[in-house]
Amino acid sequence: MALTPETLPRHELNGLPVRVVDSDDADRIGIMGRVVLETTKTLSIELCVPPEADRWRCDEAGERRENGDSRVLTVPKSGSVFEFAITDEAAGDEKSLGTASKLADTQPADFPADCAGEDVAYVTVDGSRLLSRPARRTETKGDSPWQ
Amino acid sequence: MDIAAERIDRLHDLARAAAADGEDERAKHYVRLARRVAERNRLSLPRTFKRFTCDACDAYLRPGVNARVRLQDGHVVITCDCGHHARYPYE
Repeated sequence: MALTPETLPRHELNGLPVRVVDSDDADRIGIMGRVVLETTKTLSIELCVPPEADRWRCDEAGERRENGDSRVLTVPKSGSVFEFAITDEAAGDEKSLGTASKLADTQPADFPADCAGEDVAYVTVDGSRLLSRPARRTETKGDSPWQ
Repeated sequence: MDIAAERIDRLHDLARAAAADGEDERAKHYVRLARRVAERNRLSLPRTFKRFTCDACDAYLRPGVNARVRLQDGHVVITCDCGHHARYPYE
């Protein structure tokens, strides 16, 4: 049972490149990075390269961010739609991330369909399907989307 | 290989990478999560995972950095920075 679009909601999310496609909070749309921590109701996403506009705003607000330091944002699972990039190899290649998100812009995927890039698949998952403790998610029997 | 075993493998790699980057707390989270997944799914952890994690504080051990490895008569002693010893035999 490899990591496929069908098994992703039950598989390990930590380390996967992710993009927030839709969210109740408009400011969270477009967050890109790697999942570093999962809790029952949130995903923590480490921004790989902070977007220019974002950096700007932070400088304006005079906030905690230092130059070149990565930021970790916490995004609630409920009310968000996530797009994960799955590579054929072990997950979490930061190199593939850049191309992944660019391709994803042109052709967004519908769950559980995956757009085939060069051995990169994009899976769009509604955050409410991921709502459970990280260790419990694996246990739901079957891969039915109704669980 | 089912999903749980694969998750453990993946978490092992993530923990190792996090420890190498100096993200110790994050590595501990991954180790704890892997243990929890194994426990819930009644799987035994891989031997390398057992040898490279601390039973007491869940740290991912990197010999020479946060762990001391000493050979005694017939067994290896690994001491974590937290002071916990783990022993295993060698031939």
